[in-house]
Amino acid sequence: MKNDKLKIGFYELTGCAGDCLLVTDCEMELIDIFNAVDIQSFAMVMSNNTDGELDLALVEGSVTTEKEIEELKDIRKRAKAVVAFGTCAVLGGVQARFIDPKEWEKNLKIVYGNTEFTHTKPVQSKPIDAFIDVDFYLPGCPVSKEQFLNFFTRILKGNPPEHYPNPVCVTCKYNENDCLLKKGELCLGPLTADGCGSICPNHNIPCNGCWGPVEGANVTSEFYLLKEKGFSVDEIKKKMANFSGTKITDYFQQLDKEPK
Amino acid sequence: MRIFKLKKEYLFPFLESISEGADLWAPTKKPEGKHSFQIIKDFSQIDLDYTRTILPPRKIFLPPSFNMFKATEKKYEADFSHVTEKIIFGLHPCDIHAILIMDQFYKHHYNDPYYIEARNNTLILGHSCWPDEHCLCKSAGTDIIEEGYDLFFSELEKEYLVWIGSSKGDDLIRRKPDFFDENITDKDIQKYIEWREEKDKAFSVSIDFKNMPDLMELKYQDPLWEKLGQACLACGSCSNVCPTCNCYNINDKPFLTENASHISRCWDACTLESYSEVAGGENFREARSLRLKLYYTHKLQAYISKYGKPACVGCGRCIETCPVDINIKTVAQSLDNETVDAFWDRFAKEVTK
Ligand code: SF4
Ligand code: SF4
Ligand code: SF4
Ligand code: SF4
Repeated sequence: MKNDKLKIGFYELTGCAGDCLLVTDCEMELIDIFNAVDIQSFAMVMSNNTDGELDLALVEGSVTTEKEIEELKDIRKRAKAVVAFGTCAVLGGVQARFIDPKEWEKNLKIVYGNTEFTHTKPVQSKPIDAFIDVDFYLPGCPVSKEQFLNFFTRILKGNPPEHYPNPVCVTCKYNENDCLLKKGELCLGPLTADGCGSICPNHNIPCNGCWGPVEGANVTSEFYLLKEKGFSVDEIKKKMANFSGTKITDYFQQLDKEPK
Repeated sequence: MRIFKLKKEYLFPFLESISEGADLWAPTKKPEGKHSFQIIKDFSQIDLDYTRTILPPRKIFLPPSFNMFKATEKKYEADFSHVTEKIIFGLHPCDIHAILIMDQFYKHHYNDPYYIEARNNTLILGHSCWPDEHCLCKSAGTDIIEEGYDLFFSELEKEYLVWIGSSKGDDLIRRKPDFFDENITDKDIQKYIEWREEKDKAFSVSIDFKNMPDLMELKYQDPLWEKLGQACLACGSCSNVCPTCNCYNINDKPFLTENASHISRCWDACTLESYSEVAGGENFREARSLRLKLYYTHKLQAYISKYGKPACVGCGRCIETCPVDINIKTVAQSLDNETVDAFWDRFAKEVTK
């Protein structure tokens, strides 16, 4: 029986480690998780990690150094399936918010001055699928316990993971919040994938888009709507790029094509 | 139909006496000012000075998400834990009409045990209201209610006129016979008639619902739908707040340790992209304009053709909710060639400049 267990690895690139931390926070299920699979590597919780063949690799964090590119490629080679685990891995996260490479270089200079990089060279932050093929995406900042456990259980039982196609607004309405966008605030709920339980609007704070864009998001309409409500183009773009990094640039290009 | 008079100060004591052993749901005011039906723990929570709640009362029968059953390899175990004894107090006529539409669908057309059980264990206590600038019940013919309630409270200055709508309602007032006065004077009737006439004049918007089925058909290819689709954010809110929307989705929630799953049911919305997606990834209504056509066909055409009345009860929730002003008012007005003041119309002009 023991050998039938799926071999799994959790990996952290550049991020806050929040997604791996969330796994350890599944206190009620933790023993079941560790019993159900054969965890080969999980630096946050165990020593003696091994770098062998894997059935599933969950990769958290974005790619910000050349060394991480190599690490990531190695994980891909060893794993049958790779999951982009959390918003940084899926989209690049907050560290990828500088869409223009020149802006990134300027900021690198401000922070590190003329320091010579010895171990590895920094690169502009990118999501993991900029370098490898990704089988499953699980966004979230951090990922939600419910979505992670559902994903994990389904994979374990050989079922495809559940798809979460709705925007934050759906849960926001279930929670009976008065719409902040309607009231004139810069809420990204309609553009953002659901999963957080609309936690920000529940506390009267507009959604910042930390789950990244939902499929079919109507960015153009929301963009014009926010403009009509008095927000500047710069303000809107900055807010939209906050978590979605390079992946929102496609949308901006689409926007720029729209007649002004 | 019997009518009684109830002094206002007896209202809460009466509700208290009948709600023993049942959950009493009533409108409460949220901190930001909007209203919501909640289970009442303390009578000071009840706020009857409301026009509409954010979510419709159907949430009390079928919550946005609940477990239907547990499926193991051998059997199904149905879960009816959402069914409890309930009393809903403070429902306005439009919302009671909406419950009748829900009944039509879930009780008569289909046989949905999850709805029927919850509905059969719920008492409906209506309350009179006053329209605001979004109320369309007069146009929808839902401003007056003749059935669908157990008791209905019409508020006059110092007392309520209480209509008994069912034998269960009759049983309720028998619990406190001292509170109810059978003696309705001509003066009371006069006051009520005056109030009705004043209310009738208080509506500021109207829609000609009877023309809508024809207009929907004639304008099915009208560029209007493209304009609406262009602006729609596909947020699903218009469906989620509508008291007559009834679509739902079903999901498996497998257990980690046991070979079993919870089969859960949650509200779905035709305005969401995934609504018309089927196995294999094919989507029959990928365009937002097509999804909006479906929504408005339901509200303005299909139901009228089948049951002789619109599936819109004029509650005004979609008007208060849609961030881009796509709602029953602006859509019906546009179908009727009226000019509208709506973001979606301004946006259409902006992007085609
Ligand atoms: S507050 Fe934001 S998330 Fe909630 S319904 Fe409005 S736009 Fe959507
Ligand atoms: S509401 Fe938006 S910003 Fe807040 S946690 Fe959810 S997705 Fe993130
Ligand atoms: S379509 Fe709008 S006004 Fe009509 S019942 Fe639904 S939410 Fe209320
Ligand atoms: S019509 Fe309005 S409320 Fe409905 S899905 Fe579109 S944007 Fe949301």
